[in-house]
Amino acid sequence: MFECKDIAEEASNYLDGDLPLRKRIGLFLHLVICSCCRRYMQQIKQTISTVSTLRPREQHDTDTQALAEKLRTISKTDS
Amino acid sequence: MDQEKLIAALIAGDAAAFDYVVTQYHSIMLSVARAIIGEAFADEVVQEAWISAIKALPRFEGRATLKTWLLQITSNGAKTRLRRESRQLSLDDGWQAEPDYKFDHRGHRIDDVLQWNMDTPEALLQNDQLRDVIEKTYQKLPPHQRAVLTMSDMEGLEMTEICNILDISASNARVLLHRARTALHHSIEKYQES
Repeated sequence: MFECKDIAEEASNYLDGDLPLRKRIGLFLHLVICSCCRRYMQQIKQTISTVSTLRPREQHDTDTQALAEKLRTISKTDS
Repeated sequence: MDQEKLIAALIAGDAAAFDYVVTQYHSIMLSVARAIIGEAFADEVVQEAWISAIKALPRFEGRATLKTWLLQITSNGAKTRLRRESRQLSLDDGWQAEPDYKFDHRGHRIDDVLQWNMDTPEALLQNDQLRDVIEKTYQKLPPHQRAVLTMSDMEGLEMTEICNILDISASNARVLLHRARTALHHSIEKYQES
């Protein structure tokens, strides 16, 4: 029998379809009877889509324009 | 932009094409390098990866996407830099998706999961403070988690590609992804409660 704690631990694998069938069904049955976990699962989904839309980026100090120009110069001298 | 045209433009030395690829891919290449080799050498590894990639570009066969190819070059460079130092990610560090006190002895939640006030991604994103919270949480994620999250949820790479690039097992990658998502979920939850 699966509990709320299992949902918290396996939420990503459940959403990504990376679970053996038996476990998947067990978690599904728990979700059917537990509104708390349905809400949790919904929030994890929402978190994923929010991050994929927001697309936070790695912080860095590189001057990307200068890097692009440097690479272009290298490609010219190399060819 | 169409990949073949982009590569042709790069080979022809088109400045806009160089600007485009660096803007598009520098950040994720850095993410991969930081995950493999850490902060100290990551910048250098990425610069070297760029140079190798640009030199190898005329031989690019298009079997992978340009993005995956660049990430693979970055990953190879970072791994070489590690000089075959054997390292295994240790995930056995007592991490929990939710702290134990949230559950009773049978694993049932003690308190309700509260409904979020903003219940669509669009609504969440319209809130500047919350965007800031998400950005900050993302920056604070450990490098491996950030790299897996970026490649999976933002760049849409397949799990097998991510595992190859970072040289980690599928189960490690899945755990890292769930930890990253959970950390972001916590930060949104905390913001909603405040």
